[in-house]
Amino acid sequence: MANTVVIGAGLSGLVAAIRLARAGRGVTLLTKGIGGLPLSQGTVDILGYAPDRVETPIQASASMPEAHPYRVLGPAAIAAGVAYVQELLGDRLVGSPERNVLLPTAVGSLRPTCLVPTSMTAGVVTGGIRYVLVGFRQLKDFYPLLCAGNLERQTTPDGQPIHARGIILDMPAVEDMADSNAIGYARSLDNPAYRIKLAAVIKPMLEDGEVVGFPAMVGEHDASAHRHLEQLLDHPVFEVPLPPPGVPGMRLNALLTGLAKEAGVRIVAGARVVTFESDGDRILSVGQATAGRIRQYAADTFVYAPGGFESGALNMDSYGTVTETLFDLPLHGLGPDLITAGEPADQALFRVGVGVDKEMRVVDPAGNAPYSNLYAAGGILAGAIRWSEKSGDGIALASAVTAADSILKGA
Amino acid sequence: MRSLDVDVVVVGGGSTGVGVVRDVAMRGYKAVLVDRADLAQGTSGRFHGLLHSGGRYVVSDPNSARECAEENVIVTRIQPTAVETTGGLFVCGPDDDPDFGDKFLAGAAANGVPATEITVAQALELEPRVNPGIKRAIAVQDGSVDGWQLVWTAAQSAKEYGAEVLTYHKVTRIERDGDQVSAVICTDLKNGEEVRIGCHFILNCAGAWAGEIAGMADCHDVQVVPGRGIMVAMNHRLVNSVVNRLIYPSDGDIIVPVHTVCIIGTTDVKAPDPDHLPIPHDEVQKMFDAGEVLVPGFRNARALHVWAGARPLVKDSRVGAGDTRHMSRGMGILNHAERDGLKGLLTISGGKLTTYRLMAEHIVDAMEAELGTSHPCRTAEEPCPTPAPDPTYVPTNYHVTHRLHDREHDRMEDPILCECELMSRRMFTDKLAEQPSASLDDLRRQLRLGMGPCQGGFCTVRATGVAHELGTVDTERATGLLRLFLEHRWLGLWPILYGDQVRQTALDNWIFSGTLDVEHLPEGAEVV
Repeated sequence: MANTVVIGAGLSGLVAAIRLARAGRGVTLLTKGIGGLPLSQGTVDILGYAPDRVETPIQASASMPEAHPYRVLGPAAIAAGVAYVQELLGDRLVGSPERNVLLPTAVGSLRPTCLVPTSMTAGVVTGGIRYVLVGFRQLKDFYPLLCAGNLERQTTPDGQPIHARGIILDMPAVEDMADSNAIGYARSLDNPAYRIKLAAVIKPMLEDGEVVGFPAMVGEHDASAHRHLEQLLDHPVFEVPLPPPGVPGMRLNALLTGLAKEAGVRIVAGARVVTFESDGDRILSVGQATAGRIRQYAADTFVYAPGGFESGALNMDSYGTVTETLFDLPLHGLGPDLITAGEPADQALFRVGVGVDKEMRVVDPAGNAPYSNLYAAGGILAGAIRWSEKSGDGIALASAVTAADSILKGA
Repeated sequence: MRSLDVDVVVVGGGSTGVGVVRDVAMRGYKAVLVDRADLAQGTSGRFHGLLHSGGRYVVSDPNSARECAEENVIVTRIQPTAVETTGGLFVCGPDDDPDFGDKFLAGAAANGVPATEITVAQALELEPRVNPGIKRAIAVQDGSVDGWQLVWTAAQSAKEYGAEVLTYHKVTRIERDGDQVSAVICTDLKNGEEVRIGCHFILNCAGAWAGEIAGMADCHDVQVVPGRGIMVAMNHRLVNSVVNRLIYPSDGDIIVPVHTVCIIGTTDVKAPDPDHLPIPHDEVQKMFDAGEVLVPGFRNARALHVWAGARPLVKDSRVGAGDTRHMSRGMGILNHAERDGLKGLLTISGGKLTTYRLMAEHIVDAMEAELGTSHPCRTAEEPCPTPAPDPTYVPTNYHVTHRLHDREHDRMEDPILCECELMSRRMFTDKLAEQPSASLDDLRRQLRLGMGPCQGGFCTVRATGVAHELGTVDTERATGLLRLFLEHRWLGLWPILYGDQVRQTALDNWIFSGTLDVEHLPEGAEVV
C-alpha cells in the first residue's frame, strides 16, 4: 500500500493525515508531543489583518506580499482548505469563509476571526450588544473588569456602541484551591452539578438582554456544557479565549485526533524525529528518537508539518545562524537585521521558513526541490507572520489539503 | 508649587545617594533624596550583582581591594536580605598565565582579602560546569547582591530616621544665594507639579549624570566619563558561586549567580551619553565567547536578557580619556567651595556598589568638615530594617530557595502570579499598595516580576489585571502599563535573542498578538 509519513500533530499535520488516510493511504503521524492547537483559541483564523483589519479574508489574501504562502496557494486552495475543516467538524464551527467576525479578547480588544466554535458565537460583536464578563477570584488569567473596561472604550466597526461590565466571583474550581487554571475549571464545569451551582450564583446578577462571557473553560470534554449553562442562565453564553493552554484549542485537538484515529492514522507520539535517510533525490525514511534507539519509518511520501520557531523546528543559534533542524532544508526569507528593536510580533525572523511550490513540495529559493517526495505544510512555511496576520489556521488548512491532494494525485 | 525646607538635599537615588541620605539622616540632619526616576533605576540596578571580595582588585587597585574586603563583611551583616553569601572562585583558564595567581595571592595577603588556593579537582567539585582545563583556582569570599534590595533597605532605614525619599522628581534648577546653595527645584514627573526644596547643602550623587547637576549650580566642566558595560543574564545558575577569571581585569571575566539566573559581565567602553547606552552585537558575542572559556557550552544555555550600565568614573589625567577600565574605581569628591567658590555643594563620582556605605561615610564626613560639625557615623553598626512577615522573624542572608520556601507555606491561600520568579498575588498587591503610582517596571525591580524565562509572557496581563481589579489604575492606565512593560522587556531581549528564547518569543507573540491582539487595544494612557 502507498504510504505517507506525516511529521507534526498540529492543525496542518492532523488535517493532512486525515485527508490522506480517508483516501486510502497508509498514514503514520510522528509527533514529539501534543501539537500546537492548545496554543490556539479554537477559532479558524484565515486572515485578520493585512495590515488593516480584513472583512473578507479569502479575497484579501490576494493582496498579501508575493512571498506569502497565500500567494503560492491562491484563493481556491484556501477555500478548499477551509471547506475541508467545515466538512470534518460540521456544525461545531459557525460562520462563512467569506466574512470575518469580531470577538472580544480577554483584555478587551476586538479580534477578527472567521469560523467560530458554537461556544463563542454569542460573543460576536454587534451594534448595541451588552456584555457581562464573568471572572473568578481564583483564576489568574482572566480579568473581567479590564476586559469590560476596554470593550466599553470601543465601538463596532460601523460606530455602534458596545456596553460591557464585569463580575468577579469568589468560587474556586476545586474546594479550597486558591490557584486554578482554565483546565481545572473546565474539568469542574464538565460536571453538571458544578454548572448548576455556578448558575445559581450568577443568575440573580444578570440583567435582561445581557450576553454572558465566560473565560474559555466551559467544559473540557462535555460538549453539552455550554448549552446547559445557557439554559440554566436563560441568557446567551460565550467563551473568551485565554492564554495557553487554551481549552477550545484542546477540544479541537481532541476532535481532530479522534478523527485521525478513526480514519486509520497510526499516531506515534512522544518522541522527536531527529534523522532521515535519502538517496539524494528522495527521502527514504525518517528516524524517531524513541527510548533507547532511533526507530526508522520508511514511506514513499513525507508531509513535514512541524510548526515554526515556536516548536523548535526552526532555530536561530547564538551566532545568528537560522536552520531548519531536521532536514537542514534551504530557507527562504533570510537576510540582515532579522531581529531589530521594532515590534516583537513583527520581526523579519519570523517570516523565515521553508519555501514550497504550488503542490506544497519543498523548494529552495531558486525553485528547485531538494527532495522530490517531501511536502511541507503549516507554520514551517516562509513568508507569513501568523500571529499578527491572524492567518495561522487558514495557512495550515490550505497547505495541508493541497499537500495531501498533491500526494493523492501522485504529483 | 509645593515647597519644603531641609538641611540637606541628596540628588540621585542609586546606591551612593541612598547610602548618603541614610548616613546624613542618622547623624541628625533633616534630609531629602530626589531622583528623576525610581530608586536604583540607573547604574545601581544595571550591574552584574557582584558583592566584591576584593579579589578582583588585589593586583590592579590594592586600595579598592582592601576597602571591598572590609565592606563586604559589613554589607552582608547590615543588609542580609540583599546578599547571598555564595563565595567565589578565581580560575586560571587554559590559555591564561598561571603566574598571575602568585601575584594575586600576594596582593590578597597584603590587603586583607581572604583567599585560599584550592586544587583544580576541588574547584570542579564545587562548580562542575567550570572548564575542566583550568590550571589553578583560588577561593574568595565574593557574594551576590541584589542592587534593588540593597538600595530599598537602605532607603527604608533613612526614612526611619526621618529622611524623605522623592522618586520621579527631576531636578530642573539649583538656586544659589550668593556663594551659598539655597534650594533645589524639582518637577514631580507623576503629576507635573513643581517642588521647591530649600536647603543648606546639596550632595550630588547623580553618578553618570553628576556633571549635569553640577552645571545647574553654575559649576561647569565637571568631567564624569561614563563607562558603559553590558551584562547578559542566562536562564539558570550555570554556577552557584561567583566564578572569576584569574587574570588582570578584562571583558567578560566574571559569572555571578543572582537569584534564579546567572549574569556574565562585562565590557567597559566610554559612553558619550549615559541615557542612551547601545548594546553592540560584537560586545554580546564577546560575552558569549568569554562565557565559553569559563563554562564550556555556555552558548547552548539560554540567554534571557541583556542590559547596559554606565559607571560614573572620575576623569583621571594618569590614563587616556578613552580607557575607562583603568581609571580609578575609587571615588572622588569634588569640593565646589574650593573649585568654584560655591558653598554647600559636593559632587561625588566613581566608586562601586560594594563600597557604597564607605563612600557615603566619606562624603558625609566631607560635608561636616565644610559645615564645621562632627557626628559619628553609625551606618556600619546598625542593620537596615528588612521587611518582616512576623515580629519574631530574624533576617538571614538571602538564599535562592527562599521564595520556594515561602510559597510552600502560602500556596493554598494565595495564587502565584509569576511562576518563573514565584511571585504571589499578595507580594504584588502589598507593593502596589505602598506605591500605587508605580509602573510595572518599578514593581519588577522589587519583586522580579517578569524577569524569568517567559519574560512577562504570562504574568504581565495578570499584574495589569490585578492592579485594575483593585482600582489602583483605571482602564487607560492599565492598558498603558501593559504596553510599556512589554516594550521595556523587548529592549533587553532582542539583542541577545537566540535558541530557546526565540521559541519563547514566538510563544509570547502567540499570546499577546495571536490570542489577545494587544496591538489593537484602544490607546492606553501615557505612563510615567
